Amino acid sequence: MRKILRGFWCGVCTLLSAFCFAQTPMVNVYLIGGEVPQNLIWAFQKETGIKVNLSTYESNEALFAKLHANRKNIYDVILPSSYFVERLKRYDMLTPLDLKKIPNIKNIDPFFSDNPYDPNYQFHVPLVWGSTGIFYNQHWITHPPTTWQDLWSPALRNQLMLLDDMRDVFSMSLISLGYDPNDVNPKHIEEAYQHLLQLIPNIKLFASNAIKPLIIDEDANIGTAWNGDIAKAQGENPRIRFVYPKEGSLLWVDCLAIPKNAPHLEEAYQFINYLLRPQSGADIILIEGYTSTNLASRDLLPPDIRNSKIIFPDKSILAHSYYLRDVGESVLDLYNTYWEKLKLAC
Amino acid sequence: MKSLVQKCYLILIFAFLYLPILILVIYSFNDAKYSMQWHGSTRMWYNTLMQNTEIWSAFLHSTLLGIAASCIATLAGLLASVHIFLSPKLKKNDRFISLLLLLIIIPDLVLGVSLLIFFNYAHIPLGFFSLLIAHITFCLPFVLLTILSRIETLDMNIYLSALDLGASRLRALRKVLLPLLFPSILSALLLSFTLSFDDVVISYFVAGPEFNILPLAIFSMIRSGITPELNALGTITLFISFILVLISSLLTRKK
Amino acid sequence: MKIKPFSIYFIYTWLILFGLIPIGLIFVVSYLTDNSLHLATLPVTIDNYTALISPLFAKVLWRSALMAGSATFLCLILAYPLSYILVKSKYQTLWLFLIIIPFWTSSLIRTYSLISILKIHGLLNTVLLKLHLISEPIVFLYSNFAVMCGLVYNLLPFMVLPIFSNMERFDFCLIEAAQDLGANRWVIFFRVFLPNTLSGVLAGSLMVFLPAMTLFYIPDILGGARSVLMGNLIQNQFLVVENWPQGAAISMVLTIILMVLLCFYRPKQQGVLV
Repeated sequence: MRKILRGFWCGVCTLLSAFCFAQTPMVNVYLIGGEVPQNLIWAFQKETGIKVNLSTYESNEALFAKLHANRKNIYDVILPSSYFVERLKRYDMLTPLDLKKIPNIKNIDPFFSDNPYDPNYQFHVPLVWGSTGIFYNQHWITHPPTTWQDLWSPALRNQLMLLDDMRDVFSMSLISLGYDPNDVNPKHIEEAYQHLLQLIPNIKLFASNAIKPLIIDEDANIGTAWNGDIAKAQGENPRIRFVYPKEGSLLWVDCLAIPKNAPHLEEAYQFINYLLRPQSGADIILIEGYTSTNLASRDLLPPDIRNSKIIFPDKSILAHSYYLRDVGESVLDLYNTYWEKLKLAC
Repeated sequence: MKSLVQKCYLILIFAFLYLPILILVIYSFNDAKYSMQWHGSTRMWYNTLMQNTEIWSAFLHSTLLGIAASCIATLAGLLASVHIFLSPKLKKNDRFISLLLLLIIIPDLVLGVSLLIFFNYAHIPLGFFSLLIAHITFCLPFVLLTILSRIETLDMNIYLSALDLGASRLRALRKVLLPLLFPSILSALLLSFTLSFDDVVISYFVAGPEFNILPLAIFSMIRSGITPELNALGTITLFISFILVLISSLLTRKK
Repeated sequence: MKIKPFSIYFIYTWLILFGLIPIGLIFVVSYLTDNSLHLATLPVTIDNYTALISPLFAKVLWRSALMAGSATFLCLILAYPLSYILVKSKYQTLWLFLIIIPFWTSSLIRTYSLISILKIHGLLNTVLLKLHLISEPIVFLYSNFAVMCGLVYNLLPFMVLPIFSNMERFDFCLIEAAQDLGANRWVIFFRVFLPNTLSGVLAGSLMVFLPAMTLFYIPDILGGARSVLMGNLIQNQFLVVENWPQGAAISMVLTIILMVLLCFYRPKQQGVLV
């Protein structure tokens, strides 16, 4: 038995030394799941010979927690939302970008460069954008919702599937009360919380992951979702509809960024540059359903996708939508307290 | 009559255990990307899976890790159990057991987080070794509990009489105690391999980017939705496990 | 013998290094203050503990204990007869493997398979509708029932293996002796069989109850993220709210409660274990 163990350890050490001392160039990529298709990663590996070590996280908060918990940064590329880019900037956790190394940035829609959270792409490059709105199954829902407030209707008892995202849920409540979702007034936030308490009887579940099967198989017939998920769900169940609420929907942008002290900086730039190719943007839209920020990709799309109102909302809707912004630590603490109380009250 | 009742019960339990598995296998042929209802059969998910080298390398990593962790934990646990069994009832043993139970009580999540903090301060890089250490740590208590719960039913005199009859300690251990403990050793090995192979929570915190393991690879695929590709993976894992069991049962029969 | 003390010192050192010290870190962190940048800093405070003296926390604790207790009980009544049958069978190793094999497919995938069975248009509803036992599909998912199914399904082998390993050593001649002495079946079970297998039952219950209290992804997936249990609460503190001291405090409280429960059982048992 001991001999077997000894032999085993020798084998393990050999393998490990092969891992450690191998000169393969690599890049450690930590992305939110479901936005960058696997075939893009493979294509990048094949073309450049750089090995991509992909890990994923389910929410911005999980990303932040993991980055914080590691003393020495091990990730080269991350994909936080815009309001988290703000937050990470505030904590000085990002590397300033050398845009000369990302020539494909010219493909990005100029609409995104003049943004309030990181103008002129100092620390980020926008990759994917989308909106949060209401979905419903037209077969089962007799009165289609048009506003956030419609979700509070008593007819929807125990039917709602809400996104398991603190900012999204509170934003919905704030907007329905007429406030800005980035409001920092504690009284307004408390009002939003009280308003949400009244919604509890309607809530069936909270989910952000793997929601497409639930929507397609009609286990959840109404609720909030991201437009990309609904675009894909509609492909398998034509009864699904997506609504941009009248009071205003939420817009978010997921951005590529490089954490401070990334171990493989050059490879990180190459990866980011690859993802900004027109074909990459088209792949993201076609495979994952999310809207790419890449203007040059639109020409590569089939007409039905290009004209999809879910993937490419009208300018009028965009004008009437809110971008989520970072609200500062003390307000976030307040949000956290209320979010926990809300979940416990369910 | 008794054995009919027993047979029915056995069938019911195995039906309960294997029904989701059957569903898993059937749906691996489902002709739909996201829907979980039957839409017709296709083999494309197996083709997609075969091309997915990431998953296969993660699978290999998990197997390697599982074997290493379970062997080390079981070996260490076995020897320690034997030692506890053979020494008189010391206070040390009580404290040892308490420490063990404390480790089981700590939630997975907390152990994962605390190990992450610890590895950071001890400058242990996240990767295979951090995973191995973490897995052995959470397997040890289960191994010890399983083997101890069996060893205490043994009569120490068997061992002592073997010694009296002239056997060396090692021989007495190998020829007398080990065969008696074999079922619990096997249980402990199986249990710790299962725990290690399937662990998501602790691995989430202490895994490094370069040594990806299967549960985390699956976890990342869940975000975009359970495609039948995952079912195909489950089916293939099942198939491999059955083959292994068949081979091992044939081998043991030859002995 | 050289090996045995070495092995025990090895395990002691290992458990202290990778078990006790990390737990000690959690203990220390629970007394610190939450800080967004450094996760936990001075000043030392007991606020994290006083914040738990609330009816909401008690509600979650009670709900989790009830859920975990029920799951443990269900696993026990399923596993005990099963272990008995396995012990009496000729192909023990084979049966053990057959029980374990489903658990080598990822528990995440299996839990999603459970969804396929429990959903509105899933297997269970389809069967019940075809047999005309119900007229409309029942909403099984996102309820305590679904979470219970998930817990029992995922934790059953952890009950079977210790009970089996303990029952296997039971000397069945004792039963024959008792029968010869005139005892009926109930007396044999309660006075002879059960007391001798109790240690396995307790080990198994421990191995099921503890994870059941702290697993978070099963209630998340099957319970609709509505039923907040202890595991979800702790996960929320560490991964969403990022209040590590608070998460640490909740973990410590849970640990202490469970330790107290264990102490309650220990004096009743003799033997090395428990």
